[in-house]
Amino acid sequence: MKNQLRVLRAERAWSQADLAEQLGVSRQTVNAVETGKYDPSLPLAFRIARLFELRIEDVFQPLASDLQEQS
Amino acid sequence: MNAVRSASPAAPRIRPMVIVVPALFVLSYFGARGALERIEPGSALALGVALIPVLAFGVLIYAYIRSVRGMDELGRRIQLEALALAFPIALLVAFAAGLLDLAGFHGAGNWDLPRLWPLLLLPYWFGLALAQRRYA
Repeated sequence: MKNQLRVLRAERAWSQADLAEQLGVSRQTVNAVETGKYDPSLPLAFRIARLFELRIEDVFQPLASDLQEQS
Repeated sequence: MNAVRSASPAAPRIRPMVIVVPALFVLSYFGARGALERIEPGSALALGVALIPVLAFGVLIYAYIRSVRGMDELGRRIQLEALALAFPIALLVAFAAGLLDLAGFHGAGNWDLPRLWPLLLLPYWFGLALAQRRYA
């Protein structure tokens, strides 16, 4: 899954620590989500979208591989 | 964002669990081992001393579970991955040592669990380092 988190955060001039504090997670989590190393849970994804006043699909977009059925 | 910037960062909740509680357990364990070598085996005192590290490990388990519950979802994922690596390796070491012992290969000072179990912690720390690195 890819996401716009880094761009959205930069637009607001928030540091990763700022964002982490508002979301109630660690800075490591914010960094891992931003870099695509970790896909957040649905509740966290909703919290992120709500914080940026966007829809969840405006923040997170599936990769083609995410949409393929696993055999 | 000023409010956020001025807020003091939350203290890492894992630190007491990682350092203080395990250190207390290790002290109690080796202290008890040292004491048991000088206490009459089978006595009530020996039983009491032997149970001190058990209680300390109970505290360690409680602190660990509390710490994990206080983590965010990535922290829990990292712990899960560390334990997923550590648990089967610990089982492997334990049963391999048992089989080697039965096969007559007793090793230096025997493969008994009191000497062996500190090694069982290593896979957890290794798994933790791997998982931390994966999400760094």
